[in-house]
Amino acid sequence: MSIRRYLVLNLFAALTLITFVAAIQGYKHSMTRASKQFDQQLVALAQTLTVINLNTKNDKNNKNNPKVLQHESSFAFQIFQEGELVLRSKNAPDSAMNHSFAIDTEIIGFLDGNFLGQRWRVYSFVDLIKKTSSVEKIIIVAQPLQKRFVFAQDVILSAVTPMIIAIGILSLLIYIIITRGLRPLRQLTKELVIRKANDFTPLKLKAKNSELESVIATLNQLFSRLNSAFERERHFASDAAHELKTPLSVLKVNAYNIQHDLTHILNYENDSVNQLVLSVDRMSHVIDQILNLNRTNPEQLVIDSKVVNINYLLQNVIRDLYDEISDREQTIELESEDIYLMAHEFSLQLMLQNLIGNASKYTPNGGYIKARTYISENHDLKLIVEDSGNGIAPEEYQRVFDRFYRVGGDRHNSTVIGCGLGLAIVKHIVLLHGASIELSKSTKLQGLKVTVMFPKSLMNAASNKTIPSPPEVMKNV
Amino acid sequence: MRILLVEDDLALAKALQQSLSREGFVINHVNKGKLALVALSVPDQDLVILDLGLPDMDGLDVLKKLRDKNSHLPVIILTARDSIESKVKGLDYGADDYLPKPFDMKELLARLRVIERRIGTASSSLISIDNVKLDTAAHEVYVDGDILSFSKKEFMVLKVLMESAGRIQSREQIESRLYQWGEEVLSNAVEVHIHKLRKKLPNKFIKNIRGVGYTVNKSISK
Repeated sequence: MSIRRYLVLNLFAALTLITFVAAIQGYKHSMTRASKQFDQQLVALAQTLTVINLNTKNDKNNKNNPKVLQHESSFAFQIFQEGELVLRSKNAPDSAMNHSFAIDTEIIGFLDGNFLGQRWRVYSFVDLIKKTSSVEKIIIVAQPLQKRFVFAQDVILSAVTPMIIAIGILSLLIYIIITRGLRPLRQLTKELVIRKANDFTPLKLKAKNSELESVIATLNQLFSRLNSAFERERHFASDAAHELKTPLSVLKVNAYNIQHDLTHILNYENDSVNQLVLSVDRMSHVIDQILNLNRTNPEQLVIDSKVVNINYLLQNVIRDLYDEISDREQTIELESEDIYLMAHEFSLQLMLQNLIGNASKYTPNGGYIKARTYISENHDLKLIVEDSGNGIAPEEYQRVFDRFYRVGGDRHNSTVIGCGLGLAIVKHIVLLHGASIELSKSTKLQGLKVTVMFPKSLMNAASNKTIPSPPEVMKNV
Repeated sequence: MRILLVEDDLALAKALQQSLSREGFVINHVNKGKLALVALSVPDQDLVILDLGLPDMDGLDVLKKLRDKNSHLPVIILTARDSIESKVKGLDYGADDYLPKPFDMKELLARLRVIERRIGTASSSLISIDNVKLDTAAHEVYVDGDILSFSKKEFMVLKVLMESAGRIQSREQIESRLYQWGEEVLSNAVEVHIHKLRKKLPNKFIKNIRGVGYTVNKSISK
């Protein structure tokens, strides 16, 4: 749930609830006030009625025939004199209105009672005509309770109506204010969402409020620190490369010189020197592979793709590796056509080097290696490298991609230079390109078959760019 | 052949000097880019071996300045930067070859031989592989001591392949070499020449690497 939604909904709910509770309180309060008011009216009316002079003596014959007063008020009243009803309003019953059925007695004072199909508020009052006289006159006045509710409702309604309108306006205002107030936060979120994982440039957002200002400042600081950390990491690979490769070259050239001098000048075959040369070769291979593994780490590599012709890369890789392949009297065949895809050229070439290099390394002398590319039925690009070597057991297919894992473990044939990083590097590069890799047994050549599938989006992206003029022929004649 | 070695690492320079002198090359060594440019202002070098990571300036700038002066001196780049970007850049700037460190001494020697044969400073104009001998000066080819006759273009194709024995030459590379000699090249010309060459030469002397190109192995008997 977004902060804005949370704030708007909760504020609106709280506002409505509190207003509602307040309205109920107001209603109750108005009701009591109205009751008091109406009760006072009843008392006043009763007292007013005492002044009516009733000549009862002249109306002896009308004993059970009280006078009925015609009037258009909601009030009802009865006047009893010496136990006889002498006067009543038109809307009053003949029996005493102050008769409480609950306790079956007549109550002086206030009482709520039911008669004539309504609920009434009744007030009875005993008037002694003269202080000394024993003649008593009972005056009973009543008013329908309904009247009071209607009045109280009127009062509360007129008080609440503007509040309800106010809630509407307030909600709208709250929505607008919150939306406006949270706008910088929303912009920040948007900026962060569209940001690429490896983009460490500072945020260009200008914050007007102090809270966000410090957030953005902190974020920018973090970005710049991350950036320099990643830069250092990246530079480390190339620095290490340079620092390690030059001394290794010195080692290699000197080992070559010693070997050459011993065999050609002194005619002395020395296995230690051969082992030295081999070990130096092995070490340079391991260092190369570790650096490549580091360099192709998907978290490290800023991939700047460009249009690459996979056929051209394959030809180059085979040319570079041909020395080893011809030394081992292996036959290599390439079946490919110019297919352009958006890819990171260096890493793609590295991948092909590792795949074809592996095929040559793990195939016996005189074996076959075949590389081919084609567009599959679902428009993916398939790259297949297969060989006539011993292959890999299916149960090891998953593990060969682990770092430093070598087929056969320690029993591994040590004459093959390797460090178990080749396929881990390949895996990195496959991930980088959103491709997938699959190992199987080659049906044609009986060895290992490696299939790499590149999604068609890479080719589509390449065809959207102008296809570059055929690359200049490498001048490595 | 006189070689100018531009390398700031003294240990490497010394080792290289030792092995290259023994192979009959004359080595002059400088350890800075500016010194290299000074040395190259006098045209008495046949080839430059250039390290890219120099203390005073980038090796690529040395190469650029050299080419700006319209010098066609062959340059082999030797570097610890082995990324494809710097390789392409080096070749774009006009380097003749590129060897990533740590390189194989045999590889460096092989490449030096290729350039040596091309620029014709080799002590002998004879390239000999197994029982095939190619005389670059006399434009003659011998198989088992018998002279064989080839057309001019066939001879050129064979020369390209034998000069770079052990390395694959793509059809485009062979075509571009023919162009360099001012020859018109038809689309399937290379295939035709190779076909004719193969008929006259020993079996399997010219190898076809399907999908990649052609090569003459360094030594078939190997």
